[in-house]
Amino acid sequence: MANTNVEKEPLFSKKNLGLVKDPLTDNNPVTVQVLGICSALAITAELKASVIMALSVVFVLGVGNVLVSLLRNAIPSSIRIIVQLVVVAALVIIVDLTLKAYMPDLAKKLSVFIGLIITNCIIMGRFEAFALGNGPWKSFLDGIGNAAGYGLILIIVGFFRELLGSGKLFGFPVFGDPVEKTGLYATGYENNGFMLLAPMALITLGLIIGFQRSRNKNLIETH
Amino acid sequence: MSTKRTDSNSYTIIFSVIMVVVVGSLLAFFANFTKDLRVKNDQVKAQIDILSAIGVESDRSNATEMFTQYIKQQKVIAGTEVSDDEKAYLIDVKKEMDGAKKGNVQRLPLFVAEKDGKTLYILPVRGNGLWDAIWGYIAINDDLKTINGVYFDHKAETPGLGANITESFFTDDFKGEYLYDASGNFKGIEISKSNGDPNNEDKTDNQVDAISGATITGNGVGAMINSGIRAYLPYFETLKK
Amino acid sequence: MELLEIFLKSIFIDNMVFATFLGMCSYLAVSKKVTTAVGLGAAVIFVMLVTVPLNYLLDQYILRPGALAWMGEDYAEYDLSFLTFILFIATIATMVQLVEMIVEKFAPALYNSLGIFLPLIAVNCAILGGSLFMQQKEFNNITEATVYGVGSGIGWFLAILAIGAIREKIRYSNVPPAFRGLGMTFILTGLMAIGFMSFGGMLTGGDEAPTKEVVENVTPAETVEVNEVATDSTALETVTDSLTQTVQQ
Repeated sequence: MANTNVEKEPLFSKKNLGLVKDPLTDNNPVTVQVLGICSALAITAELKASVIMALSVVFVLGVGNVLVSLLRNAIPSSIRIIVQLVVVAALVIIVDLTLKAYMPDLAKKLSVFIGLIITNCIIMGRFEAFALGNGPWKSFLDGIGNAAGYGLILIIVGFFRELLGSGKLFGFPVFGDPVEKTGLYATGYENNGFMLLAPMALITLGLIIGFQRSRNKNLIETH
Repeated sequence: MSTKRTDSNSYTIIFSVIMVVVVGSLLAFFANFTKDLRVKNDQVKAQIDILSAIGVESDRSNATEMFTQYIKQQKVIAGTEVSDDEKAYLIDVKKEMDGAKKGNVQRLPLFVAEKDGKTLYILPVRGNGLWDAIWGYIAINDDLKTINGVYFDHKAETPGLGANITESFFTDDFKGEYLYDASGNFKGIEISKSNGDPNNEDKTDNQVDAISGATITGNGVGAMINSGIRAYLPYFETLKK
Repeated sequence: MELLEIFLKSIFIDNMVFATFLGMCSYLAVSKKVTTAVGLGAAVIFVMLVTVPLNYLLDQYILRPGALAWMGEDYAEYDLSFLTFILFIATIATMVQLVEMIVEKFAPALYNSLGIFLPLIAVNCAILGGSLFMQQKEFNNITEATVYGVGSGIGWFLAILAIGAIREKIRYSNVPPAFRGLGMTFILTGLMAIGFMSFGGMLTGGDEAPTKEVVENVTPAETVEVNEVATDSTALETVTDSLTQTVQQ
């Protein structure tokens, strides 16, 4: 742990690290707070798309949290929501243009779902709940942590869907060639194409939630 | 009190104006900055797709070079008029089809390629699969009767089923297929589930073996090829003479 | 006919929740009871009805490349499409606010039942998603866009109504503790999505191949029937053709 800033609170104090760590597990925005599922699940059929989506959200939420935190005393309260929406929308447009310019094939695959980061409830939720009341550095950590917690779930779902659905990871075959029947396919294994369809994203996520809760009994709902 | 200051109407208005100006100019700058790259990406993608119909593999780095190497002529057919147009590959087929429905003359792009000493004609096609649009390019041999190669793409066909129309095991079946029946009339291609010719050895049956589980996408591909080529038949007739 | 197709397609085939996962946050948060689910669902239909056509006009006359041509020749070359997200979301936020005020003033009864849900809707992905998909689908005129908006809203309404009803019932079932609440809701939504996938074949004119086999196999004695079948299949083809054409827009 780096104790750089001794007079006040250290830059990486336990509390600050907790801001990053908590959302990854016990306070995960997706599986525990039920936020931000909207824009994400449709693109988890491939691991690569999931990773890019996760990185985009990390960028938008990290930078957005800092901007909102810096502006928190200047924003007129009557147009607070609109200002926040403008901040997100501007950042998302930058992400969208960058993807279109440098990763055109992937941008086409993600289509409108990059735009839908704007209405990702995690982002507005963190702006409202954290950035408006805390300094830029803490807000940055909080943003990164929450976005990473969200990204983690995306990547787990994407990992299972691509592995079981098309037998690949990041587009590279893992189990051998399904047409030539080499590797695992020689033993009669088949890809489960169903994993690539929309409903399986929901069911995979349901199973992940069940798994997490069976390990951490505190999270279990009473209905 | 600072909260008081930020609550006044004039402050709110000034704040919004500044925000609009700052955000607007920032985005305009960024959009301009990436514009050339984005436009070029779309152009290069069209070039790659056209080339893959005649079986030439290219990637984003060498597509433009290969395109000029193989594609010798780009023509635009509008009604009975035929003209050369170097930007023909940028014609939006969807827009032209919509325009044709409103009564405009549909501009049909045609690319003349030369590969291994043979002349090939490449034309774009567009239709509908199960979920959304499908499109592609068909390359026709210089006899104007057989298919040389095809390229298909789709927007949202079912992964593992209809989405497989892009795979080579499906597109390879089209190579050498006759578009005309025995008596010389245009018949097109049918994507068949029951032709008893799964390895596609019979090239004169006007049928290509379907992907199982993708009936509707397959029908869409057949309809797209036939209506697409039909639009070019009058021009092909003039070529034959 | 085209309008009916767009309408049915947006409700059942491209269902907001089951096909594109939009509006999941409020779908999960507000679906514990049927009554609240109905309230939010109705509010979504209402806001879709207003925002989708409005954003369609914005797209047609301001955003798309060449859209500014109505201001004069000089403006035709501008391409403002990079502002899409920001303009759409601003329109939605403003409209939601405006609708809330109007409803509160003129229809207090409606406000009492819908009011608390309206602020939730500005950040409901289904609303922005509806506008973005509308832009992507490039509808021909504002009527089609409106029908699409309403259809998508109804699709979302159906989804939240169904899950609300199931969640009320499932309270009496013995769900494994770890899956109680959220986990089970996800799995149920997945199963419903599988059910909705079967609507996919609804607007494609059906599978033509068997009809043709019948035509080939019948004996001459049944010629009359053959004719009927043949007419049927041509009729079917005409329908498919017209459908294909309509979907092509």
